[in-house]
Amino acid sequence: MHLLSSLPKLRLFLTIITLSICLPLASTSSSVSSASSTATPSQAPSEHDYNEHLTLRPLPGNSLLASFNFKSNGSLDHGDHMLLFPRSLKQVLTASWARELHVKFTLGRWNAEEYGVQPNSGRTAGGTGVEVWAWVEAGDEEEAFARWTTLTNALSGLFCASLNFIDATRTIRPVLSFQPTGHHSDATLSRLHLLHGSLPREPVCTENLTPFLKLLPCKAKVGISTLLDGHKLFDANWQSMSIDVRPVCDDNGENCKLEMEQAVDMVVDIERSLRRRDSPIPKPRPHDQLLCDETKPYLTEDASCFPLDNLFDLGWSLSEIFGRPITGTCPFGVKEGVEALRVCLEVPDSRPVFLSVGSQERKFDPQNRCFLLPGEGYFDMILPKQRPPTLSPSTPPALFAERSFTGYGQERGGVQTILRNPSLTHSVDFVYLESLPWFMKPYLHTLSARLSGSPQANNEAFIKETYYRPALDRKRGTHLEIRMSVPRNSTVLLTYDFEKAVLRYTEYPPDANRGFDIAPAIIGILESQGVVGGVGGGEGRKVVSYLRTTSLLLYLPTPDFSMPYNVIILTSTVIALAFGTVFNILVRKFVLKSEVPKLGGRVSGLVGKVKNLLLKKRGKE
Amino acid sequence: MLPSFTRGVAAPSGAFGFFCTVILVVLACLSSTASAGGHTNNWAVLVGTSRFWFNYRHLANVLSMYRTVKRLGIPDSQIIMMLSDDVACNPRNAFPGTVYNNADRALDLYGDNIEVDYRGYEVTVENFIRLLTDRVALDTPRSKRLLTDDRSNIFIYMTGHGGNEFLKFQDAEEISAFDLADAFEQMWEKKRYHEMLFMIDTCQANTMYSKVYSPNIIATGSSEINQSSYSHHGDQDVGVAVIDRYTYYNLEYLEKNVQPNSKHTLKELFDSYDNDLIKSSPGIRTDLFKRKLDEVLITDFFGNVQNVEVDGDGLRGREDLIALSRLAANLTARYRPDRECGRRSAKKDVKQSMKKEAKQEAKQKGVKRDEEKKVMQSGGFNGEAIQTQQKKRVGAMRVEEKDSWGRTAIGGGALVACAFAWAVSSVL
Repeated sequence: MHLLSSLPKLRLFLTIITLSICLPLASTSSSVSSASSTATPSQAPSEHDYNEHLTLRPLPGNSLLASFNFKSNGSLDHGDHMLLFPRSLKQVLTASWARELHVKFTLGRWNAEEYGVQPNSGRTAGGTGVEVWAWVEAGDEEEAFARWTTLTNALSGLFCASLNFIDATRTIRPVLSFQPTGHHSDATLSRLHLLHGSLPREPVCTENLTPFLKLLPCKAKVGISTLLDGHKLFDANWQSMSIDVRPVCDDNGENCKLEMEQAVDMVVDIERSLRRRDSPIPKPRPHDQLLCDETKPYLTEDASCFPLDNLFDLGWSLSEIFGRPITGTCPFGVKEGVEALRVCLEVPDSRPVFLSVGSQERKFDPQNRCFLLPGEGYFDMILPKQRPPTLSPSTPPALFAERSFTGYGQERGGVQTILRNPSLTHSVDFVYLESLPWFMKPYLHTLSARLSGSPQANNEAFIKETYYRPALDRKRGTHLEIRMSVPRNSTVLLTYDFEKAVLRYTEYPPDANRGFDIAPAIIGILESQGVVGGVGGGEGRKVVSYLRTTSLLLYLPTPDFSMPYNVIILTSTVIALAFGTVFNILVRKFVLKSEVPKLGGRVSGLVGKVKNLLLKKRGKE
Repeated sequence: MLPSFTRGVAAPSGAFGFFCTVILVVLACLSSTASAGGHTNNWAVLVGTSRFWFNYRHLANVLSMYRTVKRLGIPDSQIIMMLSDDVACNPRNAFPGTVYNNADRALDLYGDNIEVDYRGYEVTVENFIRLLTDRVALDTPRSKRLLTDDRSNIFIYMTGHGGNEFLKFQDAEEISAFDLADAFEQMWEKKRYHEMLFMIDTCQANTMYSKVYSPNIIATGSSEINQSSYSHHGDQDVGVAVIDRYTYYNLEYLEKNVQPNSKHTLKELFDSYDNDLIKSSPGIRTDLFKRKLDEVLITDFFGNVQNVEVDGDGLRGREDLIALSRLAANLTARYRPDRECGRRSAKKDVKQSMKKEAKQEAKQKGVKRDEEKKVMQSGGFNGEAIQTQQKKRVGAMRVEEKDSWGRTAIGGGALVACAFAWAVSSVL
């Protein structure tokens, strides 16, 4: 590994060229920006094409958001001919009649206060653990569920995750939160069933990344995907792998193809990943290397220190952060033109960037600086240390949401969600979706929304619409979907109480004392009132971005699992004692000691008889 | 019977003929191999049964074996790995995405190409026995099934915490030696293995295979009854013990000596066991096995070396052949009236006909749906588009507080009426 990473670096330093601020790129950038392509390329869609790109965005606190995006298209018909679209997934989709599929593996916490809105407006990230939703074509609800079971089981085999645990109790059918993102004909649309399941407890690890990478046409052997290494990905502060499959057509509803978008988003702590490269075991920094805030009164003679951060942007390179540089380019993307494969950096033009030889800078839109990969060889990018730090403006999300448990005791509790609208001018409308397990039973009548600070609940002002499907014990979970509105610059508290169920002895997992994970609440921000159109959503309004709360850990009344054995042992003892006594009384006769015939008498009698016999014989002789 | 058979073979035309020949060849192989010895495919079932971080070493044991069988040639599709906990991405792991089996940390067992088939809560006694006996649920994916046949050599490795005739799963349940023996017997009855190597590393491991009674099984374990199996060493940076002794010395032998084409035998492996190093007495059970241990290659179980047999006359098992060729003829007649091609398009036809049926069904249902819609609309249902959808389907219902005063009045009225009735009855 060390050898691998050091070799190209040597080469790189030898052949480095400086692309400085003042490189005359303005002319090229203006000419190219007219053909800017953002999310969906407008060129005529060919059935099989592929593109991949990586966007790097420095975040406050010396963090770096790396967003990998891989798009491969395949033909929509049911033939077996596959070029770029992975055949394994296509077969699963065909067998389960899934017309649109979204699978998300997410771990860590997205710090919205610092990082702002999630990449792709939260479209590609999921909640903690694994989240799956799909539009399944079926005649009725039962058939849809059967196909959904087929789908989750097949996916569990494909992605090495316990997706087969998504049963009826973990499946909901959201009403407002999701709309199909692909093109479906009206005839199909009427037969589509949306099913959604989540597993908040599911670990995400290398065994999930391996099949994910195997779906790529270049299988992480060449191109941008060579940067995806499990050791780095799962060391990130927050990471998400997502797969979105949908049919895409042009505006006339023709030239349809099946599009698969695979995205990996990760927030890397630059300092940590640089430190881990030298030594994986964290050690405290030597005292003379600490940067202290000397204006604080903490600095005393025993040299305690109030640490300073954000003094400068750390210098980093791709190979330092990801352990290796990008190797080559994926030939499938090259066919589509060089723009298909690119690395973009969201830093101001004033920050110097050093590139490996052979790569070019292109401007696609004003915030981005994009670099086209050289055809072959290694691609690396070095950003030197910069002082003072560049302030990267982060877009604040439309809403901040925090959810927590309230109350105490083993019997019931409460959930409180703090919803804060940071906008000074606009109110925000959104859909709040909760999927609760059956053993957490909310009381709907306690659902209330109130302004932070005011003691009075005012449901009418904030809650516009409520959809609810109550839980059935061991059969299905609760589905609660609320369309809400939070006025400008204010904080609304949404609360409800719930009751905890007592599980059966065998229903507890092996580590029951850890608690039970409750899936994150999904919040879909609706487009602002002015713009009306689109499908789904409340009042026909589209969901424009998503955010999710963290998952919760619910502590249920948990028995001492050795107790049944104690009970069994004690009961057996008591029964044995009682039974033994009664049995004795029934079958034995109790007499006084003096009444017992002497044992010795009998024996001596016998002996006497034998003696007599012998004597008689002798007498005869 | 014979004429029909000759007709089937003598008059094949085009792809159908090819199809038949394929079947013939396959059958010929099957019929010949049924009598001869040897195996044609290798499978491995690797099971770690311990949950929690401090049992890191058990998962490292399993992953070491995974590495070995993969190194010696068994593909991922023929390895069923059951890992009961996630140690690689455990927050306590100082080396994310990594599992080591040695304090030198030279070898990352998790690597970047790993497939875990059963993980976490899926590792249960029930799932293990279902896997062995192939009594699985309808939708179980291939990667979670042991698709073996009577020519499969299976290597089963288990590790965890155990005791006299049991092995704990997940700290919550246990499999007994009797369960295991019966599962093996069922496998034998169902012709699910040819030969089996059962290896177990746990305390009192030898008791686990003592009840096995099915043929062609070699079993080995780490310790006798009333003996503990110990860990080999710990890594202070990982913070826990990283491997068990018995597995460590097995691996040491395998890593040093065995390559995919090496001719080392199981006897040599078993002879390498040193009680002083392992600190327990490993057991070997061969009474169920027919061959001698010094004839059994290690790669018969750890590797994927297959016996290729050149078939002699190829016409044994004629009756099966006849039945199969008839079946093939029937199938082709059913799906292939133009007798054009073989298997693939036949499949396609099935699919297409299914699709047609589905389409028709869809049409019918669509019509029904439209009718429903019309009824709803004509019935003066002036709700939003979502609500009409809502009506059609099971799902969350809109919560509405309608006319609550009226309802309160009705409820109150009913209550008063009941009270009145009660009062009257009590007076009377």
